[in-house]
Amino acid sequence: MIQYIDMHAVLQASVSGVYADLVTRPTGRVVRERIEQAIAGRERTGEVTVARMDFTGVGCIDYSCADEIVAKLLRDRPAVLVLSGITDGHREAIEPVLSGHGLAALIERPDGTLEVLGAAAAAAALLDELVARRFAARTPGGSYALTLA
Amino acid sequence: MTRLVEVPAQFDDRSFDQFAGVFADANKDDERLLFDAHAAEWASPYGLVGLLAAGQAARRAAAAGTVERPLLTAPTNADVLSYWARAGFFREAAELFEIHGKVPRARAAEESEVLLPVTPVRAAEDVHAVVSKIQQRASAILASELSLDPKATMGFAMALSEACQNIVEHAGTGGWVAVQAYHWRRKLARRVVVIAVADAGVGFRHSLEPTQSKRFGDRWGDAAALEAALVQGVSRFRDPGRGQGLAGIRRYLVRWDGKIAIRSGTARIAIVPKWDDDVPLKDGLPPFPGAQVLIIIPEQGSAER
Repeated sequence: MIQYIDMHAVLQASVSGVYADLVTRPTGRVVRERIEQAIAGRERTGEVTVARMDFTGVGCIDYSCADEIVAKLLRDRPAVLVLSGITDGHREAIEPVLSGHGLAALIERPDGTLEVLGAAAAAAALLDELVARRFAARTPGGSYALTLA
Repeated sequence: MTRLVEVPAQFDDRSFDQFAGVFADANKDDERLLFDAHAAEWASPYGLVGLLAAGQAARRAAAAGTVERPLLTAPTNADVLSYWARAGFFREAAELFEIHGKVPRARAAEESEVLLPVTPVRAAEDVHAVVSKIQQRASAILASELSLDPKATMGFAMALSEACQNIVEHAGTGGWVAVQAYHWRRKLARRVVVIAVADAGVGFRHSLEPTQSKRFGDRWGDAAALEAALVQGVSRFRDPGRGQGLAGIRRYLVRWDGKIAIRSGTARIAIVPKWDDDVPLKDGLPPFPGAQVLIIIPEQGSAER
C-alpha cells in the first residue's frame, strides 16, 4: 500500500498563516517531521516505505526546502517517493538537489506513467528495484506505472 | 560630535564602495553619524537597502541602555523623495534613523516598477511573506515585460527565497530585501528585474570561519569566504545538503543570463554575464558590515525591444 501525503495540507498544518509555498529550511524541517510521523508505522514493520507526495496546490518550492524534505526523507531511510502534482517549477528545485546527493525519486504523470528524477545511476537502480519488487510494471506503451494502489 | 556620511547622488552598487569608504572612516570613532542624502538624485534598490544596513550598523549604545539613532537628511528633490517613499524606504528608515526633512506619507507601491518595496527580513516567516507577495505581484510582469517564461518566474521566486534566507540563517541580525523592474538604459538598453538584499550582520567570513578557515590557510579572508560560498557552494553547516541556496541561484542566473554580486566585509564577488563588464572578484575594498547581494535578470531576447 502507498502512503498518501497531501503536501499542501501538511504545509498548511505546519506554518502559521495561509502560505502555499514550501520555502525555507525551518518550514522544510517541520513538514518533513510531520511526514516522518506519518510513515513511522510502516517503517516499524520493516517494509520499504512507498509514499505518494501530492504537490497539488503547492506554489513554489525552493532548493532548501527540497533538500530538507525530499532529499532527507530518502537519505535517512529506505523509501520510494512518488511525486505527483508536480509542476516544472517544483521539478527545477527538486532535481538538482536529488542529483547532488546521488538520489532519485519518481514522478507520477497525470496519466499514471512514471518518470525518474535525480542522479542517473540511482534512477536506474530505483526502477530496477521497483520492478523486482513488483511495485511497478512496464505498460503497453513502454513506460512504467505503479502496480500498487 | 557628529560625523558626516555623504550619500552619493547616484547611489547604486557602483557607487557603494565610495559610500562604504566614507562610512567606515566616519564610524570608527564611535561618534553619532549624519547620513546626508539631501543631494540624492537616484538610488537603486541596492542603494536603498545598503543605506538601511548602514543605519543598522551605526546605531550605537547611548546612556542607560538606550540606543542613539544616526541622523538622516532626506533628499530634497520631490521626485526622488516620492520614489524613496514609494519604494518603502522611509517606512523602514524611520526605525533606524532620526530623519530630517519633509518625508511624504508612505503609500502602497502601486506602480509596476516596485515589485516588492523595501521589506524587512528577520525570520523564516518573513521569507514566506516575501515569496507569496512576489508571486502575486511579479509573475505577470516578469512574463510580459521581461519575456521570461513561466519556468523562469518560478525560479525567480526560488532565487529570491534563497537570497533572503541567507539573512535568516547567517547574518545573526535582520536585513532588508527590495525588488524592482526598470528600463536599464545606461548599461543594457533593456528592461531588468533587480533583487537587492542587505544586512549589517556578521558577514560571510565570520559565518564560515569555524568550518572553512583552516582549509584556506593564509588565504582566508572576506574574498576567500565569498569564493567558498558562491563558487564552491560551502556552508557553515556540516550537513551535506547545505549550500544549495547560492548554488541554485547561480544555476538559475546562468540559464537566464543574469548576474549576481555579493559584497561582504572588504570583498565583492560576482558571476558576470557577457553583457556586463564587472570584475569577478575584488578584494581590499572599504570594510562594510554584513552582506549585500545584488541579482539582476535582464529581459530575454532582442536588445532592441
